[in-house]
Amino acid sequence: MTKPKAAAVIYILMLFACLMSHTARAALPEYTLILKNHLFYPQVVDVPAGKKVRLVIENQDAEPEEFDSFDLNREKVLFPGRRTVIYVGPLEPGIYDFFGEFHPNQAKGQIRAVTEGQPDVD
Amino acid sequence: MKPNRVFYGALCLLTLLLSARAVADGQVVDRVYHPYVLANEHRLEWRFMSRQTSEENYLAQRVGFGHSVNENWILELYLIGERDEQGNFGLEAYELEARWMMTEQGQYWADWGMVFEVEKRHGQNQWEVASGLVMEKEFDRNSLTLNWFMIYEWGENIHDELESEFRVQYRYRWMPQVQPSIEFYSGENYIGLGPALMGLQRFDGQKQLKWELGFITELSNIGKDHTLRFVLEYEF
Repeated sequence: MTKPKAAAVIYILMLFACLMSHTARAALPEYTLILKNHLFYPQVVDVPAGKKVRLVIENQDAEPEEFDSFDLNREKVLFPGRRTVIYVGPLEPGIYDFFGEFHPNQAKGQIRAVTEGQPDVD
Repeated sequence: MKPNRVFYGALCLLTLLLSARAVADGQVVDRVYHPYVLANEHRLEWRFMSRQTSEENYLAQRVGFGHSVNENWILELYLIGERDEQGNFGLEAYELEARWMMTEQGQYWADWGMVFEVEKRHGQNQWEVASGLVMEKEFDRNSLTLNWFMIYEWGENIHDELESEFRVQYRYRWMPQVQPSIEFYSGENYIGLGPALMGLQRFDGQKQLKWELGFITELSNIGKDHTLRFVLEYEF
């Protein structure tokens, strides 16, 4: 087999392996936020440090919003009337800002990653 | 980490390393793709690449327009211009590109996507199709991104051949406007490495300007071979 053909076979095997590795889904801690009148409720969410979590954001407004956070490295459109899942972490203890791009002065919030027994991240 | 993830991770890494010196006779240095697609997005893109060797300067530019068709797919159409052997710069090719976000960001051990490209040379019966596997892994404020392309080209006056290209970017997300990185490119007869910067500036709503700037030096040959590349991307 020539080298490019061998590379192609490995490529396909790798793609298959990568798809297979994503079939299992572990249960993650889940936190729900509501977006209403361009405000996030709650505005501050405490999550455990060092663990991956699911943020479920329900956009109750009539228009889309865009969740944006450089700190969390996440950007996601929140469609009106829908629940959107954003996977976050594992995070170091600290405060991570996020905002809505279409209403950046109103739609603001923070994720506080806290160590168990040490709720003060400041 | 579960044992099967370790196994698949090791398999992925091994196959990427084995393929790192595969066949490619085009310009290997390009942008490193990330596996993410944002819904409701339109984008205008300008890519510039200048490769200076001891003998010549190779210049290529492309402009593109992209539109995300849903939360997982984006289509982008490019016009590609290159400087020919007579030193004239003109339209050389068209390309249609589709990118697929295969997994939600952060859901799994790494994020995965694919890139599909079809390119036709302007005025000639020469074609190229490519499939690229894209992976990104976050480590705190660092991101490691891998691209592996399989490319097949055919048509008049060229050899029908299967090629492979490999790209790696290690990026530190320092601040939105300035994110330094190291980039690595590989194809046959080409191994390149160099520093790069990327960043973005937000405006109202979804509007933002992204940029990338990289200077890649060829490592496998003795002669001079440097590539300057930059990308400007306006998203709206």
